[in-house]
Amino acid sequence: MTGRVTHAAHAAHTAHHRRHRGRRGVAALLGLALLLSTAGSNSVAARDGRVVVGSKNFLESKLLAEMFAQLIEGRTDLAVERRLGLAGTQVCFEALRAGAIDLYPEYTGTGLTAILRRPPTGDARAALATVRAEFLRQWDLWWLNPLGFENAYALAVPRARMADAPLRTISDLAAVSSSMRAGFGYEFLKRQDGLPGLQTRYGLEFRHVRAMQQSLKYQAAAAGEIDVLDIYTTDGRLAAYDFVILDDDRQFFPPYDASGLVRGAALRRHPELGAVLGLLTNAFDARTMRQLNYRLQEGGEPVETVARDALSALRLITTDDAGPAPPPGREALFPYLWSHRTTLITRTVEHLALAGLALGLGLLAAIPLGLLLERRRRVAEPVIRIIGLTQTIPSIALLAFMIPVFGIGEIPAVTALWLYSLFPIVRNTYSGLRDAAPRAVESARALGMTEGQILHWVRLPLAAPVIMAGVRTAAVITVGTATLAAFIGAGGLGVPIVAGLQMADATVILSGALPAAALALAIDALLGRVEVWIRPRGLQRDPA
Amino acid sequence: MTPAPVLSVRDASQVFGADVRALRAVTLDVRHGETLVLIGESGSGKTTLLRLLNGLQTPTSGDVCLHGASIRAQDPIEIRRRIGYVQQDAGLLPHWTVADNVGLVPWLLGWEPARRAGRVDALLDLMNLDPRRFRTRYPVELSGGQQQRVAFARALAADPDIILLDEPFGALDAMTRHALQQQFLGLKQRLTQTMVMVTHDLDEALRLGDRIAVLKEGRLLQIGRPDELLRTPAHDDVAHLLRYRAEGRRP
Repeated sequence: MTGRVTHAAHAAHTAHHRRHRGRRGVAALLGLALLLSTAGSNSVAARDGRVVVGSKNFLESKLLAEMFAQLIEGRTDLAVERRLGLAGTQVCFEALRAGAIDLYPEYTGTGLTAILRRPPTGDARAALATVRAEFLRQWDLWWLNPLGFENAYALAVPRARMADAPLRTISDLAAVSSSMRAGFGYEFLKRQDGLPGLQTRYGLEFRHVRAMQQSLKYQAAAAGEIDVLDIYTTDGRLAAYDFVILDDDRQFFPPYDASGLVRGAALRRHPELGAVLGLLTNAFDARTMRQLNYRLQEGGEPVETVARDALSALRLITTDDAGPAPPPGREALFPYLWSHRTTLITRTVEHLALAGLALGLGLLAAIPLGLLLERRRRVAEPVIRIIGLTQTIPSIALLAFMIPVFGIGEIPAVTALWLYSLFPIVRNTYSGLRDAAPRAVESARALGMTEGQILHWVRLPLAAPVIMAGVRTAAVITVGTATLAAFIGAGGLGVPIVAGLQMADATVILSGALPAAALALAIDALLGRVEVWIRPRGLQRDPA
Repeated sequence: MTPAPVLSVRDASQVFGADVRALRAVTLDVRHGETLVLIGESGSGKTTLLRLLNGLQTPTSGDVCLHGASIRAQDPIEIRRRIGYVQQDAGLLPHWTVADNVGLVPWLLGWEPARRAGRVDALLDLMNLDPRRFRTRYPVELSGGQQQRVAFARALAADPDIILLDEPFGALDAMTRHALQQQFLGLKQRLTQTMVMVTHDLDEALRLGDRIAVLKEGRLLQIGRPDELLRTPAHDDVAHLLRYRAEGRRP
């Protein structure tokens, strides 16, 4: 039974962990304490026999992380917490450096150019030597031995596009590039070892360059809407499309050997970690990875299953049973929703917890602030305008800013959602109180009500519907934005949305998007009822 | 023999901001039981003067005395609870019933609920509003005239000896205004309260006022009985005001 920690056992373990630490927290703030305890577990994970494995938000990264996790669970006594699907290199790396995760799969080329900001090199050994030395020196982070394959950038052209002039190399492409329409990923367009450097090296000048989402590029190329695209060499989809991968004849693209990137502290504390992960040295070649990726991308199989099959094929873990047969192909929406109902309910609960906690804390901060500003009207407008600025920060950017401070997981997610909830509540509390029946307030004052009595008996009841409208806006914003929590490993209904985007699977996207939208509508309707309910009698919505 | 003043304003000036002089050295007495009408154009300072009387504003210089004692030394909240107040558009609390509105000051003063309810019914009766029909209504369910009668009842609720009225008939249509003015005259016979009323309507001032104070640009031009003002206007502006009224009335 030490072979594998089942999902249920994992959940039970987490629940136990929460209970244990929750008891030590302040009883009155039980909900908050629960949350803090899970987030607190991030930084203390390696100390109490837990290892936190992270991954980026694409399937190969998740697959490798899941293999790390299963291997650790199968061959050591360590418990593993998974933080899969973090948003990109920056988020993963910051989380690792901050100690929010202990390891994640990374590629040497990414370490060299995107993290160390060194110029790309074509020499795989030199690249590995550089990242090893620098990561160790600067951050006490260790690159394990390479896993045996590289997932490098390459350019591909649909074979159909080559009927008149066959292309073999990128130099061939350069000669005709002015007639080619390109579709490139967002990261590729920005990175030194992506388009900018490539253009310099080869003198490429495309007719048109379009920024596109990874999986849409393939469809666009197959449909003849773009002529050239960037691909990853282990992409499973390559099996399904007839693309020619161009030879990098001038050795521009740096090597992207996959490896585990681990905190030195975790390796020292758990020496068995290095030994176990070392078993994966040179375990996979590019062809094997393409096949595994194909099962994930096109077959829609769960990461857990593919990882388990790959490890058991290497006889690194033993499996008690073959497990349930993977669902063949893709399902229609409603059967999919039904068969995944347990997961979706868990996600919905996570989602509600994130949004609810953020909104609750938002109320606790924003309503008193609105009351205070009503007393200090001179500073009210500037303060409200500053709070309003938070609304203009893109959510992903806000989440990224928070990682160095709060790590990953629920804390930064709730903090970001909390910031978004403030503005509508403060704004409406302030203006609701300020504009509440001025003549009635005047007569109440003239007849001897104190300012406190006026606030309590006149302004607040009259402003209540306006304040509630602000709360309602904040609730809808919070529930909507909570889908982004998935990017920093906080769960919620964003998880299936992000996963579905990677797999270009509308069913999976909708399995997250539909409940999220339904939730937002339901909460809006519910709070709309509350708004009517707290509207004092004698106040008509439309005075006749 | 002149009765002792209930309120006396001594050399009061009120300056708003840098150079807005709303009142300039106004001195006048309000006598026990009289109805004093403050009249003037908008911007004459009549409302500012009224707001000095119950401490809604404190004069920049000069003083206001209530029963001989400076109100600067007194708690303005206490003063306001002892002085009734009626404003132009009633200013009823829209989320409170008629009974709650009328019972506001007694509630602030901590009266027992039963005593409060009895007082509310008596006052609604006095205002010709059937308590059984109106007690539980909300202001939005009343006509403008009914709202203003509730506001009168509210001002009388704790039996104050002074009532301040800020254009109490100003927002009503002509018919309702006339009816309410008649009712006010009737009430005056039965009540002993001292009243100070602001208006810009000279007809109203002449009909309802025992004495009239004419203000212009923050100065008190003249104060006296209506017949005194008509006979011997002390100022060209007063004479002009009265002539204008006479012409307007008999074209």
